[in-house]
Amino acid sequence: MKFESPTDQLLKAVSTAARFAERRANLPALSAVLLVSEGGRLTLRATNLECGVEITLPVKMDGDGVVAVPAGVLLGFLSNARGKSVTASLSGELFKVESDKVQASIKTLPHEDFPILPRVSAEKSFTVKASDLMRAIRAVAYCASTSTIKPELQSVLLYGDAGKLTLVATDSFRLAEKNIVLKAGGSVPQLLLPARNAAELMRILEGASGDVEIYYNDNQLSTHIGDVYYTSRLIDGAFPNYRQIVPKTFSTEAVVLREDFSTSLKSLSVFADKFSQVSFAVNPAKKAITLSSRNPDVGEQISTIKATISGEDLAMNFNGRYLADSLQAIAGDSVRVQSNGPGKAILIKDAADETFFYLAMPMNR
Amino acid sequence: MTTTKELWENALVELELSISKPNFNTWFKDTHIVRIEDGSVYLGVPSQFARDWLSTKFHKDILRSLRGLSESVRTVEYIISRGAKKSSDEAARIVPPPVTELALEAVHAKTNLNPRFTLSTFVVGPFNELAHAASQAVIRKPGIAYNPLLIYGPTGLGKTHLIQAIGNHFRLQTPDRKVYYVTSERFSMDYVSALQAGKVQSFKEKYRQYDLLIMDDVQFLAGRDKIKEEFFHLFNFLHDSNKQLVFSSDQHPNVIQNLEDRLKSRFAAGMVIAVTPPDHQSRLAIVRTKAALHNVLLPDEVLEYLATTIEGNVRELEGALNTLLIQFEMRDTPLTLNDAKTLLRGAGAAAKKAVSVQDVVKTIANFYGVEEASIYEKTRRKEVVRPRQVIMYLLREDFHISFPTIGEKMGGRDHTTVIHSCEKIKNDLRGDSILNQEIHQIRLMLK
Repeated sequence: MKFESPTDQLLKAVSTAARFAERRANLPALSAVLLVSEGGRLTLRATNLECGVEITLPVKMDGDGVVAVPAGVLLGFLSNARGKSVTASLSGELFKVESDKVQASIKTLPHEDFPILPRVSAEKSFTVKASDLMRAIRAVAYCASTSTIKPELQSVLLYGDAGKLTLVATDSFRLAEKNIVLKAGGSVPQLLLPARNAAELMRILEGASGDVEIYYNDNQLSTHIGDVYYTSRLIDGAFPNYRQIVPKTFSTEAVVLREDFSTSLKSLSVFADKFSQVSFAVNPAKKAITLSSRNPDVGEQISTIKATISGEDLAMNFNGRYLADSLQAIAGDSVRVQSNGPGKAILIKDAADETFFYLAMPMNR
Repeated sequence: MTTTKELWENALVELELSISKPNFNTWFKDTHIVRIEDGSVYLGVPSQFARDWLSTKFHKDILRSLRGLSESVRTVEYIISRGAKKSSDEAARIVPPPVTELALEAVHAKTNLNPRFTLSTFVVGPFNELAHAASQAVIRKPGIAYNPLLIYGPTGLGKTHLIQAIGNHFRLQTPDRKVYYVTSERFSMDYVSALQAGKVQSFKEKYRQYDLLIMDDVQFLAGRDKIKEEFFHLFNFLHDSNKQLVFSSDQHPNVIQNLEDRLKSRFAAGMVIAVTPPDHQSRLAIVRTKAALHNVLLPDEVLEYLATTIEGNVRELEGALNTLLIQFEMRDTPLTLNDAKTLLRGAGAAAKKAVSVQDVVKTIANFYGVEEASIYEKTRRKEVVRPRQVIMYLLREDFHISFPTIGEKMGGRDHTTVIHSCEKIKNDLRGDSILNQEIHQIRLMLK
C-alpha cells in the first residue's frame, strides 16, 4: 500500500475523521483512523460506536491495502506538514508518511478490530437544505441536557410533517425549537439524535451546499454529504410532550434590540455570581428593561435597555447564560420577550421570524 | 434446565477466553438473551454498531459456545434492544438546581402512559379492593378475564392510576404488544382532526392496532353522535378480536345521560366496578404509604389528624400531605399536631361549610322524594322512616350533634330512638351497597 495526496485535502479529511475517533478507547482500534486504499480511492473511517464517519478521497496510489493509524498522531503530523503533498506507505507494522523532507513512521494498530460502520437502507428518508439543517442544529443543540440520567434529553429531537421539519432540545430548564422546510420525506417520526452526534453532523454540514438526504431506521440515522458518509445511533426513548408547556398568551410582552440585549448580558456576566444570576425587570411606564447582576466578591452592575412594552410590570431572576444562549440563534435586529409573570417561563423569539422560539425558566430563589 | 440468563453468562465466560479483553469489553457488555425460540437464540445488543460487528466478526464464536452449552441451539439472531442497559448513576441523587424545571411530563410516547402509575404504588383498601383485584386479573389474562373492564367512581379516587397501571404492567410484561392510553376528550379531538384532514381511515387503523386500549372518562363521549358511532365500531372491532378494553367513568354507565343503550350494554358486558371514597382506615394507610414514599416520618397523631379531617377524596388527601411535607422540609423541626392543624386550616376542616339541621333535612327529604314536614311528624310510614334514620345518622356522624339535640330537632324524639336509628343505618351500611351509594351522594350534596 502506497499513496500520494495533496496535504490540505488529506489534512481536512483526517481532522474530520479524528473527531469521531474515541480518545480513551477500551478497544485500541477505535482510537484509530482506518485508511483503506482500493481502486484509486482512499477511504478514511473513524467511529466511537456512537457515531461514525467515512470519507473518500481520490489519490494517486500504488497497490491496495488497509491500515489503522492512531488518529491523534496522524493529525498531529499532518497539521504541521509544510509540503504541498504527502506520500504514505505501509511497511510491516509501520505507517510511513513523508512531506517536504519530513519523514515519520507511525506505529499502527490492529486493523482487524476496526468495526464496520452501520448502513441504513434507503427505505425511509427525508430531504432538507444542508445549510438549513446546520443552522437548525446550531439553534437548538446547546439546550440538550448533559446529564446521563435521561438519555432522551441528551438528544436533539427531529420530527416532521406537512413540509416542516422541527428540531427541539431541552434540559428541562430551557427549551429551543426551530422549524425548517422539509423538502421531501412526507411525515418523519420522532427521531432522537444524541446531541453530541448532532454537533458533529453540524460541523460536517458547515461546508456543504445544496440539499442533504437523511436516511433513518429505528436505531440509526445516516447521510451522505459530498464525499462524507455520516452515521449515528438514535436513542430509544420518548421525548416529553413539550408542546403543552409552551404558553400561548402572555401578560407581558417586550421587544428589544438584539444588539442591546446581547451586549448588556455579556457585560453583566462579569458581575454575575456562581449561578450566573441576572435579575430582569420590565417596566412599562419607563419603556425600559432593567438588567442587573451582583457578586459580593466583585461588585454589581445595572444596565437599562430601551424596549417597546405592552402588558404588566415584571421582575424575575434568570441564569444569564440561559438568556444569552437564546440570542445566538436569533439573526434579526429585534427580539421579542414574552412572559406570564414570576415563576413562569419566559419565551424569547426573533421578532420577525416565527420559525424559532426559546423557553427559559426563571431561578427559584 | 438452565435459564437464558445463566446460559448467556456461561457462554460469556467461554467467549472471554477466546476473544481479546478489549474486544470482549467493547462488544459484549450490555448484551443479553432476549428469548429463545425454536432453537434460535435472540441476542439483545445495544446498538447497530454492535449488531453489525458481532454478526460479522464474532458470530461463529458465539454460536459455537452456545451450542456447546445447549444442543438445541441452531442459530443466533441479533436484535437491538436496550432492555438490559441500566445506567448505574441513575440512582445518584442530584443536587436540586437553582432553576425551576419546565413541567415536562415523562409520558411514554408510544403508549401515552405515565410510568409513575404502577400497582405497587397503589394503596388497596376495602373501598377499592375489588377494582384492584379485577385489574390484576386483567393484567394476568388480558382479553379473557374481564372484557371490557369499567371502573367508575367520583373524582380523585385513583381510577386513572389503576387503569394506567394496567397499561404499564401490560407493557412491561409483553413489550411487543401494543397498548395505548387515551382520554375520551383526546379521542374525540383525534377523530375531529382526522375528519378535517380527510384521514379517517388512518384514524381507524391507528386505534384498531392496539392489543390493549385504555380510555379515561368515557362519560364525556355522551352526546357526541359521530364520535360515539366511531367509538362503537372501534369497540366492536377490538372486542371481537379479543383485545382488552379498559375504561373509566365518573358514573355507572347505565346512568350516563345521552348514552345509547347499545353502548351501555356493551360497557356492562364485561365487568363494571365501583371505587368508593376510602374509609378512615384506608385513608390512614394512604397517608402512611405516601409519607413513606417521600421518606418522611410524621408523628402518628398528625397522620391520624389528616385521615380524620380530609374525607373522601384521595387527591385532596395527597394535597394536604404535600402541604405538610413541604413545611417539614423547609424547617427541619418535627411537625406537631398543632402545626398540622394550623397548616391545614382551610383544607379539610373549613371545607365543611356551616349547614343547618333544616338544610340537612331538606336535602335528604328532597333526595328521597318525601315531604319535609313528614320527617318531623310521628308517622312510621316506611318511606319516611328510612330518610329520617339517614338524617339522624348523618347529623351524628358528620356534624357531631349530640343524640338528645338530634331527637329534639327531629320533632321531639327520645334520644334512644336516635341512637337506635344511627345503629340501624350503621349496620345496614355494611351490607347494603345501594345505601352506601345514597349516603355518598347525599354527602356530596351537602358539601
